[in-house]
Amino acid sequence: MTAMPGPRRRTGSSVPQPALYGALALTALFAGWWLATAIPGVVSPRVLPSPLDVVARFFFLAIEPFSGSTLEGHAIASLTRWLIGVLAALGLGIPIGVLLAWLPPCRAAITPIFELLRYIPPFAWVPIAVLWLGATTATQALIVFIAAFPACVINTQLGVSQVEPILLRAAKTLGAGPWTTLRRVVLPVAAPSIFTGVRIAFGNGWMALVGAELVVGKQGLGFLISQGQINDSVATIFVGMMAIGALGAAIDALLQRAQRVILPWKTASVRPLE
Amino acid sequence: MTTSDPSAQARATPKMEARGISKTFHTRAGDIVALDRCDLAIGQRDFVTVVGPSGCGKSTLMMIAAGLDAPSTGEILVDGRPAGPAGPQRTVVFQRFALFPSETVAENIAFGLRVAGIDRAERDRRVDEQLAFMRLAQFRDAYPHELSGGMQQRVAIARALVVRPEILLMDEPFGALDAQTRTVLQEEVSRLAREMNYTVMFITHSVEEAVYLGDRVVVMSARPGRIKRDLAVPRDAAWRGLEIEEASNHADFIDIKREIWELIRTEIVRQ
Amino acid sequence: MRPLRSRAGGSTASFWRREPGPIAWLAIAMSFTAACIALWWFVTRPGGPVSPLFLPPPMDVVDAFVRLLARPYLGSTLGRHIASSLSVVIGGWLAAGLVGLPLGIAMGWWRKARWIAFPIFQLLRPIPPLAWIPLAILWLGIGDSARIFVVFIAAIVPWVMNSMQAVYSIDGLLVRAAMTLGASDRQILTRVVCRTALPTLVAGARIALGNAWTTLVAAELLAATSGLGYIALNASRTLEMGILLVAMAIIGILGASFAIGMQLLTRLVAPWSAT
Repeated sequence: MTAMPGPRRRTGSSVPQPALYGALALTALFAGWWLATAIPGVVSPRVLPSPLDVVARFFFLAIEPFSGSTLEGHAIASLTRWLIGVLAALGLGIPIGVLLAWLPPCRAAITPIFELLRYIPPFAWVPIAVLWLGATTATQALIVFIAAFPACVINTQLGVSQVEPILLRAAKTLGAGPWTTLRRVVLPVAAPSIFTGVRIAFGNGWMALVGAELVVGKQGLGFLISQGQINDSVATIFVGMMAIGALGAAIDALLQRAQRVILPWKTASVRPLE
Repeated sequence: MTTSDPSAQARATPKMEARGISKTFHTRAGDIVALDRCDLAIGQRDFVTVVGPSGCGKSTLMMIAAGLDAPSTGEILVDGRPAGPAGPQRTVVFQRFALFPSETVAENIAFGLRVAGIDRAERDRRVDEQLAFMRLAQFRDAYPHELSGGMQQRVAIARALVVRPEILLMDEPFGALDAQTRTVLQEEVSRLAREMNYTVMFITHSVEEAVYLGDRVVVMSARPGRIKRDLAVPRDAAWRGLEIEEASNHADFIDIKREIWELIRTEIVRQ
Repeated sequence: MRPLRSRAGGSTASFWRREPGPIAWLAIAMSFTAACIALWWFVTRPGGPVSPLFLPPPMDVVDAFVRLLARPYLGSTLGRHIASSLSVVIGGWLAAGLVGLPLGIAMGWWRKARWIAFPIFQLLRPIPPLAWIPLAILWLGIGDSARIFVVFIAAIVPWVMNSMQAVYSIDGLLVRAAMTLGASDRQILTRVVCRTALPTLVAGARIALGNAWTTLVAAELLAATSGLGYIALNASRTLEMGILLVAMAIIGILGASFAIGMQLLTRLVAPWSAT
């Protein structure tokens, strides 16, 4: 019955054990955290705030502005820049990916420069971006764009180039011209791969944004945690980090939902670029 | 030397025996009774084939016989004693080959010997012997993914035989192969079994295959699976040793085949 | 006119749909790259539309590279800075692997380990490695330990998650086959599972290295006193554009080398993987 790897064991047990163990583990973790901070002398509150401190800080930041905005304000600022960057990456990246797959000579031309630039971590562009665009939203959006762009292009190109030639031939025998073939055959078939690329791009963009905000800007979650560090407030850093993580996870969950709704018929068969 | 009377054979201690095997699966959709009190005795050097409609539980019975699954009730005995966990005394050939992709043909075949701690020289000797016997010698350094389905299954059979099992279990081994490869392998297994006198339990859904290969055909009912009939197929029948094409034209072959088919048909209708 | 035969994939007969052969490929790539460099040189020429503070001319970049090779910059030679970056990234990546690989395999193999540890990592995973930097600075100050800490955190999550996935997704049939051949649990784990999962495990290592490199560069831009990122940061502050571009280029080349190195490693340890 069990086809999973693992040591031999008997089959069949109906108690939902995974959830139980998981809950126990997390509870133990939190309990350990709280205990470490509750016993005086074990850990300095400057280094590790107690869970209660973090919760209190969360509510404080939700209401009172800190370094310019409330928690919500910072989050919205971050999300706005992120959205600009990733939408630009989609808008430019997907057509270019299609182009590279559709016209192999273009791929030959662009590959050397593309590959060289791709391996420069997005964050490494921050100094030069600041020099070009100043300490503005545009800078951060540019970093997000740089982070999101490669995944869009590569996954789109992979998806389009893996459309089976027999489908293209079938379309041609039915009288479809190249534009129609692209729209009605190639894109729908490549859609799952493209969507996977979008998901990866969105995630990469979010991570890069946080980094950019550590250096540049007067608002945003990255700015918040770097301010927390400057002001020696570990609790603020914790709250910020959790907010960043939670938003990132929420974005990915939403995209997975969207994929199931828009593309219910197929999961991507191409190995995505991480 | 051999008798065609199953009951006489079974009076001696059977090589493997399934007693009162029942298996119930607990799923979220409810309980599924896959097997209901199956009794089956396999004597030394018997070639028992098990047929039945789809879903009748024959593969489940084999997994239990192999020790890969535990029955809800009942037990499996080998030589009259409770069979232990899965092991090389009763090796299995699976439908999907199950060759280790990271090992060459020779390494795959040597796996059971390695695990048993047999030293290298003896290992190599036995592997070479098996490769020659199964006519696989030229592929010894190939990886599974480089071989066709038929070749892979032959490697799987070699791997199962090189450890000298007391019983060989085969779970629809030719189900994933094309018709031509299947025929070739059926003839090869038939030859193997006759020459080497293996004790075999062979699961299939093809009645023709079951009659051709087996000297006993066990027919199972639809779910919940029970042993419905146990027919003897004479070892010394005129068509033994012929290619399956010719054998299937003999009158007695056709008679047995029809009898078994009728049994199964009623089960399929019952489902 | 004879119709052109199309190769891999393309169904029309035009030049634009044909996959170029290796010589044509090289020719196109080199000519396009040369054209881009020419354009770069053109727009940054003296009196040209682009100021050298915005984008330095190609010759400036070459000069900066030569200068970095010749004289120490910010206290160390270029070689020392590169060595500093490399040692931190490789050290942190290996340390994370030493912890993460066995942990991931254990989580893939034993249900209880998975049930306990997986939720914890699921909590950690969404937090971008870069977000750990302020915490690292607060806890460890500016310097080497902060860099190593952040690189370790960045690398350990892919190490653990991918190793777990690699073991977890092994076909159960192979485990059963090994059981029927008499293998003990330990033998199945080492001889069958780990060997079969090897390509995927190396893929996880590759991703961890990529993460580590990206995070290192960020850490060096914020919390270091040596290394390539530190050079880039300083060059941007002092408007030494040429040095900045050289630093970025070296960062990119090293990143690409890691990726290629890992691909070669995969082919080395797993010659049977069909991909």
